[in-house]
Amino acid sequence: MAKTILTVDDSGSLRQMVAFSLKAAGYDVVQAVDGQDGLNKAKEKTVDLVLTDQNMPVMDGLTLISNLRTLASYQKVPILMLTTESSDEMKAKGKAAGANGWLVKPFDPKRLIEVVQKVIGA
Amino acid sequence: MKTLPIEELRALLAAVSSHGDWHLLEIETDLQQTTFLLNEAIEKLSQSFMQVYAHLNDQQTALQQLAEAGKLQPEEMAQLQVFHEHVGHEINQVITGMQFQDMTNQLLQRTIHRVHGLKELLNELSTHKGPMMDEDEHEEIRRFIQQLNQQFDRGSQHLTGNLRKSVNQQDLSSGDIDLF
Repeated sequence: MAKTILTVDDSGSLRQMVAFSLKAAGYDVVQAVDGQDGLNKAKEKTVDLVLTDQNMPVMDGLTLISNLRTLASYQKVPILMLTTESSDEMKAKGKAAGANGWLVKPFDPKRLIEVVQKVIGA
Repeated sequence: MKTLPIEELRALLAAVSSHGDWHLLEIETDLQQTTFLLNEAIEKLSQSFMQVYAHLNDQQTALQQLAEAGKLQPEEMAQLQVFHEHVGHEINQVITGMQFQDMTNQLLQRTIHRVHGLKELLNELSTHKGPMMDEDEHEEIRRFIQQLNQQFDRGSQHLTGNLRKSVNQQDLSSGDIDLF
């Protein structure tokens, strides 16, 4: 059974590119348009990996991670940030919030899949 | 009728504000139009890309069936595999390239917010109401400009504080990856 990845980004084109890359590698993808939408969808179904942007309306990525980590079902689920933010300060905040990794946009699909496979397997 | 220098100054600042506001409105309109055109273009490119990819998959399936039916020579299959890898590489490049719309959009929105902030600052030029007394005009003008400058400073700090730059990309390469 294919593993499911929740991808959260307010940019439609970015979500489309992420979903395309992950589906081509054999993963199921759930998409969310902001942190709140991501949190709602994560509660509906526990996914195998969360891939989230940082700067989004309604709820940003760091807040989403903090909220997810309070849920028992998301204590161990890997969460990766995929964002244009590249400062060490932001990465430290991400780590403190509970992120397992930080990917700076634009992503190379091949490297994205390599990281995802490393974190949750094929 | 003789007017007070501070009134002349106010009229001058209002004129500067009006000119500046007009130019900023033009800039804002161009930026909005650029954002719209960029979004439209990327949306159409994305749709075409998906169609091209679907057709390539169909083609790959057809070639696979030919190979399984023994209708392709080993060297032909090897050549097709090379083509397949080239196409895969180019698809990855397209996906990386498409993401620049997201970044340029963020930069455009940041610029539009700054234009809004500048319009508010310019508005301060035309609406600033400092106290006015006629016994010492020079002192009044000095105080007027000082107050105006303080307002500008506060507005500028507010604008800068609310416009943290989140996009630092300088070229077309993909970003770094850190696993914690």
